[in-house]
Amino acid sequence: MPRDRRIWKHPIIDFKRGRKVRFFFEGKVVEAYEGETVAAALYAIGIDVLTWSPKLRRPRGPFCMIGKCSSCLMKINGVPNVRTCIEPVSEGLVVERQREIPPIPETSENRQVHVEELDVDLVIVGGGPAGLIAAMEACKRGLDVVLIDESPRIGGQLVKQTHKFFGSHEWFSGHRGFEIAELLSKKLASFKNLRILTRTTAYGIFKDNVVGAACFGSTPGNYTIRFRTCIISTGASENYLVFPGNDLPGVIGAGGAQTLMNVFGVRPGERALVVGAGNVGLIVSYQLLQAGVKVLAVVELMDEIGGWFVHAAKIRRYGIPILTRHTVKEAWGCERVEGATVVAVDEKYEPISGSERDYEVDALLLAVGLTPDNRLLAQAGAKMVWLPSAGGFVPLRTVFQETTLRNIFVAGDSSGIEEATTAMVEGAIAAITAVESVRGISKEDEKYRKRLLKFLWGEYRASPVVRRAAEAKKKALIDPEKLEEVVRG
Amino acid sequence: MIVGGGISGLFTAYFLANRVDPEKILLVERSYIGSGSTLRCATGIRASFTTEEHIVLMKRSIEYWLELSRELGFYLRRGGYVWLLQEEHLDAFKEYSQLHNRFGVPTRIVDREFVAELVPSINQDMFAAALHDPLAMQADPFEVIHTLTRFLKSTGVKIQEFTEVTKLVLDHERKNVEAVVTNKGEIPAENIVVAAGTGTKNLLKSVGVDAPLEPLPKHILITMRYRRLFDPLLIDWASNSYIVQSRYGGFIVGAELAENTSGEAINRIDYMPHAVRIWSKFFKWFPKVYILRYWTGYYVMTPDHHPVYGPVEGVDGVYIAAGFSGHGFMLGPVTGYVTSRWVIDGDPGIAQAKNLMLARFTMGRLIREKAVIG
Ligand SMILES: Cc1cc2nc3c(=O)[nH]c(=O)nc-3n(C[C@H](O)[C@H](O)[C@H](O)COP(=O)(O)OP(=O)(O)OC[C@H]3O[C@@H](n4cnc5c(N)ncnc54)[C@H](O)[C@@H]3O)c2cc1C
Ligand SMILES: Cc1cc2nc3c(=O)[nH]c(=O)nc-3n(C[C@H](O)[C@H](O)[C@H](O)COP(=O)(O)OP(=O)(O)OC[C@H]3O[C@@H](n4cnc5c(N)ncnc54)[C@H](O)[C@@H]3O)c2cc1C
Ligand code: FES
Repeated sequence: MPRDRRIWKHPIIDFKRGRKVRFFFEGKVVEAYEGETVAAALYAIGIDVLTWSPKLRRPRGPFCMIGKCSSCLMKINGVPNVRTCIEPVSEGLVVERQREIPPIPETSENRQVHVEELDVDLVIVGGGPAGLIAAMEACKRGLDVVLIDESPRIGGQLVKQTHKFFGSHEWFSGHRGFEIAELLSKKLASFKNLRILTRTTAYGIFKDNVVGAACFGSTPGNYTIRFRTCIISTGASENYLVFPGNDLPGVIGAGGAQTLMNVFGVRPGERALVVGAGNVGLIVSYQLLQAGVKVLAVVELMDEIGGWFVHAAKIRRYGIPILTRHTVKEAWGCERVEGATVVAVDEKYEPISGSERDYEVDALLLAVGLTPDNRLLAQAGAKMVWLPSAGGFVPLRTVFQETTLRNIFVAGDSSGIEEATTAMVEGAIAAITAVESVRGISKEDEKYRKRLLKFLWGEYRASPVVRRAAEAKKKALIDPEKLEEVVRG
Repeated sequence: MIVGGGISGLFTAYFLANRVDPEKILLVERSYIGSGSTLRCATGIRASFTTEEHIVLMKRSIEYWLELSRELGFYLRRGGYVWLLQEEHLDAFKEYSQLHNRFGVPTRIVDREFVAELVPSINQDMFAAALHDPLAMQADPFEVIHTLTRFLKSTGVKIQEFTEVTKLVLDHERKNVEAVVTNKGEIPAENIVVAAGTGTKNLLKSVGVDAPLEPLPKHILITMRYRRLFDPLLIDWASNSYIVQSRYGGFIVGAELAENTSGEAINRIDYMPHAVRIWSKFFKWFPKVYILRYWTGYYVMTPDHHPVYGPVEGVDGVYIAAGFSGHGFMLGPVTGYVTSRWVIDGDPGIAQAKNLMLARFTMGRLIREKAVIG
C-alpha cells in the first residue's frame, strides 16, 4: 500500500506545492503536485523501484536526482529511457517501468519537434551558481546570452542548500542557498538580452563554434546555437562506493537525498546511515534530522572528520555518532535497503574482521565525493589533466578561466570540485573574459577582474579548509602565454 | 617490436607468439590499447569486395575469425550484409557477385521480398534489389581487443601503453633498423612492425620512406538500445551509408560526409540530421529512436584502397601493416598472419598479399577497390 513520504512540517522550509495533478503509473491513477518530477512524485508515495537493470534485472531507485546517473530511466508517454528525476509531472502523463531492453517506441505519429537556430555572443551551459553569476555579469555588460540547464529550474545545487552561507557579504553570506538561487533568478528575469532554456540538455560542442542542445519530454525541441564565446558550468556528479548491494533502491547520493527532502519535501527514508563525514555528509545528516529522519550514524573511512568543526559539533550535539575509520561492508534488502553492515578498518584501511556491526536502516546515503562533469569539454578536445585532489579529470585553464579551446571557458565544479562561492567568483571571471573576447575589455572591467582574482586566490581561500582546494586547482593552471602555444599546437 | 596497439598490432603479436618466444615480443602503444581507429569502428566483417586480393584475404580472415572466436572465446555473429541497390547499380553488382562466387563467396542478387523477410520493417520502395552476402559477420571491437590483450599478456608478450615512438633508428650503414626512440627512452629492436594507423606515415618518414597513407575523417553514431529488429548490416549504396544493430541493441549508423584527407576529425552538427534523414526513408520508425553517442575516427586511405603489407625496400627489419582504407578491423586476423609470415619467413604465406607491398605505388601496380563504404 502506498505511503506518504511527503514532509508537511519543516523548521525552515515552507514547501510551496503546486496544484494537484494526476498521472498514470502502470495503469493506476496517482496524484502529484505540479513542480515535482516524476521520480520525486513516485518516491513520495512509496514507489522504491523505478526500473530494473536490463541484463541482470536488478531493481533500481533514484540515486542522484539531477539527471546524471541514469538509475531512474522509465517509459514516459511511450518513450523509453527518460530521466524521470528531471522530468516534471503533468496531467495525464503515462509512466511505465522498464524491465528489459525496450522495443522501438510505438508513438502514433512522429511528434512535432521544435527546431531553432540561435546565434549569440555567449552560451552558458549549466545554471548553477557559476552559470547564473556568469549570465548576470555578461548581461550587465550587454552581451547577447543564452543560458541552458537540463533541470526544470535554474539554480543548480543551490536549490537544495538550506544552510546559511559563510564567506563574503558580496557573495551572499548569511543567505541560504535556495534563497540565493531565487534572488539570482529574479535578477536575471529583468534582462532582455538573456534567454533561458530549462529542461534543455547541451549534448555536444561541434565544429565552428556550435553547441547542440535538446529538450526532451512532452515539448521536444532541438537547438543549434552558434556562439562567439561559451562557458561550461555543468557542475559535478556524485561518486558511488563499491560494496555488495550498492545498487539497491534506498542507496542514494547525499545530494540526491537533499534534492528529495529540501526541494521536493520528500523524506528519503525513515532510518538512515550516512557514509562520509565531509561537509556534505555532515550537512546532510543535520538536514535529515530537520526532515524527521532518524540518523543512526555517520561512517567515515579516514582517521579524521573532513568537514568543518561547526558542522560536526552540531551533529554530535544531536547524539549522532561519527564513526571514523569505519566503512560500509554491504547493504542488504529485497527491492529496498533493509540494513547495512559497517566494519572498522586498520591503518591500511583494510576491514578488521570481527568488528562488523549491523544497522537496520532503509536509507544509506553516500557522501563520498564528487566528480567534475566536464564531458562536453573533453568531447570537444580540451586538454585535461588528472587531478584526484580536484575530483578527477579537469580542464587545463588560465586564471581567466580559459580552456585550451579558443573562446570556451570553464567555471565552477566542472573545473574542479569546490564550493558555491568559488563557483560564483569563477563564473564572474569567466564572464568578463568572455566580454573581453567579444569586444575587448574596459579599464573598469580589467580592474574588477583583478579584484576578483585577488579575492579568489588570496583572502577568500586563506583558511586551511578551502586552501586545499585552491592548491589542487593551482595544478591545473596554465600560463596565458603558454596557452597560446598549446592552442596553436 | 610492434608499434601500435590496434587490431593489426595485436593480431600480429598473436600470430608471432604462436611461432616465436612470446617474451621476445614487445608491443608499444602511444595511448591506450584500441584508442586509434579500432574501438571506433562499426563492427563489420565481410568478404564481398571487388578485387581478387581483397576477396581472398577477407575470406581467409573470416575463417580465422571463426576459429579465433572459438579459441579465445569472444562474440561473433553471422548476420550477413545486404547492399541495397538502385536500378542503375545492378549491372555492376551482378559482375561483383560473379567475382565473389568465383572465389567462393556465395553472394547473390536478391529481390525486395527477400530483403523484407530479413528486415521486416524496411520500406521496399526505397530500393530496386539487393546484393546479399551471407558470409559477413559482426564482432565486438571492445571485447576482441580486451580478450586478445589479456591472452597475449598471459603468454608472456609485453604490452606497454602510453609509450609513443617518435622515430626509428638505423645503424651507421643506414641499412638495418636497430632501435626506436620513444617518449620513455630508446628501445632496441631487431625487427619492427609499424602498425601505427595514422602514425605510420611519420614513423616511416623518420627513415626516409615515403608512404602514401592519408587519414580521412569519418563520422559514426549509435542510438540507445532497442529490442532486436534485424540481423544484417545494411548498406545504402546510393548515399554510401550503413546501419547495423549492435550486439547490445543500439543502431550503429555511418554515413559519408564530404571531408578532406588530412583534415581533423571533429564532430559536426550536420552529421546527425544527415544520417537520420537517410535511414528515416528506409524505416518509418527511425525518427523515434534516440541517439546515444556520436564520434569520429579516421580511415587511413591508400591511393588504391588496399592495405600496405610487408617489408620496406632499402630498410631491413621494418615491416608495414597499415593503410586499411576502412577495412582494417575485418582484416585484423589475416593482417596478423601475413605480417608474422613476412617477419619470420620472408614471405606472406598468401600469394595475393605479395601484391600489396609498398613498392606497388612506385611501380604503378595499383589494384583498385570500388566497394569502400561509409
Ligand atoms: C550534495 C552537495 C552538497 C553541497 N553542499 C554545499 C554547501 O553546503 N555549501 C557550499 O558552498 N557548497 C556546497 N556544495 C557545493 C556547491 O553546491 C557546488 O560547488 C556548486 O553548486 C557548484 O556550482 P556550479 O555552478 O559549478 O554547478 P551546479 O550547481 O552543480 O550546477 C550545474 C548545472 O548545470 C546543469 N547541467 C549540467 N550538465 C548540463 C548539460 N549537459 N546541459 C544543460 N545543463 C546541464 C545542471 O542541471 C545544473 O543545474 C554542495 C554540493 C553537493 C553536490
Ligand atoms: C567510423 C569508422 C568505422 C569503421 N568501420 C569498420 C568496419 O565496420 N569494419 C572494418 O573492418 N573496419 C572498419 N573501420 C576501419 C578500422 O577501424 C581500421 O581500419 C582498423 O581499426 C585499423 O586498425 P589498426 O590496428 O591498423 O589501426 P589503429 O586501430 O588506428 O591502431 C593504431 C595504433 O597505433 C598507435 N600509434 C600511432 N602512432 C604511434 C606511435 N608513434 N607510437 C606508438 N603508437 C602509435 C595509435 O594510438 C593506435 O592505437 C572503421 C573505421 C572508422 C573510423
Ligand atoms: S539520473 Fe535520475 S536519479 Fe540519477
